[in-house]
Amino acid sequence: MTPVSANGAIRNGLIAFAFLGYLILIGIPGRLGGSALPVLALVAALFFWVKLRFDAPDTGGAGLPGGSAEGKPGWQIGAPGQSSGRGVGALFPGRGGTLVLRHGLLAGVTTGLLIAGMSLAFASAIGSGASIQPVLDKIVPVNVGALIGVSPGQIANDDVPLFRYPLQVLFFTVAGLFAALAAVAARARNLQTTSMARLSAYLDSLPFRTTARFAGIALPFLLLAYIVWLGIPGVSAFGSNEGTVRLLFTLIATGSGLFAIRLAHPGREQKIVALLLALGVLTMPFILDQFQNSVMGLVFIFVMMGLGLNIVVGYAGLLDLGYVAFFAIGAYTYAFLSAPFSSPYISNLLNLLGISPEIPLLGYWTALPVAMLTAAIGGILLGIPVLRLRGDYLAIVTLGFGEIIRLFMLNLGELTNGPRGILEISQPGLFGLPPQSFSSGLLSSQGWIFLVALVSSAVVAFVAIRLNDSRLGRAWFAMQEDEDVAEATGVHLVRTKLLAFAIGATFAGMAGQLYASRQINIFPENFSLFVSIDALALIIVGGIGSPAGIVLGALALKGLPEVLRGVDEYRIVTFAALLVIMMIVRPAGILPSARRRVQVSPTDEQGPTTAAEERENDASLPAQGPPARPEDARSEEPA
Amino acid sequence: MTALLSIQAVTKVFGGLTAVDNVDVDIAERSITSLIGPNGAGKTTLFNCLTGLHRPEAGEILFDGRSLIGLRPDEITARGVARTYQNIRLFGRMTALENVLVGQHLRLHASHWSAILRSTRQQAEERAARTFALELLAFVGLESHAEVVSTNLPYGEQRLLEVARALGSRPSLLLLDEPAAGMNPSETDRMMELVHRLRDEMGITIFLIEHDMKVVMSVSETVAVLDYGEKIAEGTPEEVRANARVVEAYLGPEVVLQDTADTPNL
Repeated sequence: MTPVSANGAIRNGLIAFAFLGYLILIGIPGRLGGSALPVLALVAALFFWVKLRFDAPDTGGAGLPGGSAEGKPGWQIGAPGQSSGRGVGALFPGRGGTLVLRHGLLAGVTTGLLIAGMSLAFASAIGSGASIQPVLDKIVPVNVGALIGVSPGQIANDDVPLFRYPLQVLFFTVAGLFAALAAVAARARNLQTTSMARLSAYLDSLPFRTTARFAGIALPFLLLAYIVWLGIPGVSAFGSNEGTVRLLFTLIATGSGLFAIRLAHPGREQKIVALLLALGVLTMPFILDQFQNSVMGLVFIFVMMGLGLNIVVGYAGLLDLGYVAFFAIGAYTYAFLSAPFSSPYISNLLNLLGISPEIPLLGYWTALPVAMLTAAIGGILLGIPVLRLRGDYLAIVTLGFGEIIRLFMLNLGELTNGPRGILEISQPGLFGLPPQSFSSGLLSSQGWIFLVALVSSAVVAFVAIRLNDSRLGRAWFAMQEDEDVAEATGVHLVRTKLLAFAIGATFAGMAGQLYASRQINIFPENFSLFVSIDALALIIVGGIGSPAGIVLGALALKGLPEVLRGVDEYRIVTFAALLVIMMIVRPAGILPSARRRVQVSPTDEQGPTTAAEERENDASLPAQGPPARPEDARSEEPA
Repeated sequence: MTALLSIQAVTKVFGGLTAVDNVDVDIAERSITSLIGPNGAGKTTLFNCLTGLHRPEAGEILFDGRSLIGLRPDEITARGVARTYQNIRLFGRMTALENVLVGQHLRLHASHWSAILRSTRQQAEERAARTFALELLAFVGLESHAEVVSTNLPYGEQRLLEVARALGSRPSLLLLDEPAAGMNPSETDRMMELVHRLRDEMGITIFLIEHDMKVVMSVSETVAVLDYGEKIAEGTPEEVRANARVVEAYLGPEVVLQDTADTPNL
């Protein structure tokens, strides 16, 4: 091993340590309790894996046929025209595999030693009674104890078994090795000549790949089982914060489920996996507690929002920054129908008509078409004046529209009760049964909201996917590509644009209605610009145009911050850092649609094709046919 | 012969510039007509007037006896006028097949509800559209590239795809804006052959703008010449070639003064 590559490994170890150190300083381990060490090791492994996968290690420089001289090596891996079938194939010629393993090992050991050293320093500082609180306010026994894997009491009493520190090192070493193995496995087929070849060949062999595939498919189910187990009364695997841990695993289970569907072979296997996962997710509302259900309910309300906004922004290419308006319209429409007594104007009107304003005018499900229709009309009313606007101008006008609606809600006190809001909105019932009658024992009230959100999102996703796969979807995309040509090709621009606005708004209206009944009381400040920004951010993070990506985006953007809730003031900063890193690593989103990938990294491959295929194959397929360009490397999943 | 398209005294003004000045052109059914002229003569502007991208200030455009003035581009396409563009304007991130399917948009009528429910009628229509799109791709010689994202096609094939997309709307008049621009000789030959086949096999009337005089002279039955927005000549290729004003427009007045007897080879 050359000194150069050792430096590279140590550097990666240092970067990982810096990142993890930050997480430790803001108190994440304390939040995660007993699972802190494995989770931190997992984060480290992910980081190493990304580094090994997207950066050529320094050893590769000499042996790299294409050279990695210019710029960041990760963007220039392999030689164009190398018919490896995989863009990164040329990365590790010769004894590359061994080097990668050593690289991973060294990086992991570096991180582990540093973390152990830090833990030791903190533990002895706390044990000796040194005052570090004023500066490092999160370095408390709970946090450090979780990091080392002992109880807070042991930290406070300076009673930590010494073997705990080597154990920490071991965790991160394994993480580094694991990342290296994953990186090697992804490109093992190109290693021919060395002793590594046998290991690589094994890693690349059918049994291993099949096992890996099944492991990937099984993961969400295992996590689900784990969540169920954690929910059993009396089970307390992880100290104080199993609620948060359970939420984290719920998020991961849902997200990994989407990947599992992609791992399954298309056809019957995929259908079975999808069906089982759907069943698994549908059981979640019954097994989670009130807190986790309320977070998941919000996540899926935002999935609906994201799917709707995706029609406007992702499919039709109309940048709408005032999307919250339709969310608000849906919410307030239902609020008026459900709690007319909260609105002075409506209760007066009803009194005049001889109807008691004290009872809801319509139930949740009968109000649903009304809320959807009102939101759709709102969408058309916004659409008409902005028909001629494009790009930035459209964004600014829609931004204004969103604010106008919010200010309406704030200032039309007679109608909307102004900042005092509409109170006591009722929850959805079922077949005439009031929500209380069935949501008491088996299903918590938030679980019921989560369930309704799940089913509604599924319906919305179904409609969105089907529409996108029809002539309307093609017209939307054509319009996004070139408005003038689309019109000259026969697309009725006015109708097509208004349909996009109206359908997007309808979905937001549905989401808004459910949001209102989740919140019970709604106020104008619930509908600020930030809701629009959240919705837009989640589709960008997830991958514009890809429904599965939107679910992942919502999990990451609306779910993860709740997991980080305990680190309060650092939450947003951490989150922002995660976003920046993600946009560098996967600029097209977590699970981009094939079309979006074409835009971000043009390739010669025949991969991205029809909308139907786009959803089925997407990222998990290796490049086929013609010589893969280096850019492929960034749009592929590991084998 | 009846005129399928009749352009009558069309004038288009941009600010102080008269881009198209009182132009009359008649195009017979199933004919191939070329529109030539120096750069900036107003050829593409005239095409844009025909397809509804611009609205002419004066004049009348009759297609099949009905006026096209004031119609939206998609309505004009619905009447049976399709076009290609001087600088290729495909839907870049769509596959070749999808481009042609968008071309058929007007001819598909299944409701959006039926698309959500995947009714048998909608599915049958989609299948038929797909089959027709593949036929069109085969017609222009791109059948093997149906699933290729259109930006990844070679330049010449992108031009062919534009033609296929235009054919998707089942036009009776096809406007080709410099179909052979930037092509090598063999690609140009392929395009000229395609133009003939469009007329002979599909019965489509062709109106094309072209700079390559070899193409113009060999392919067209009638040639109209624009210069500074005015039509300065119209006739068979031979007549136009012999026309002194055309030579002057292309080569400048000095050439005409010095050498009126010998017509330069355009």
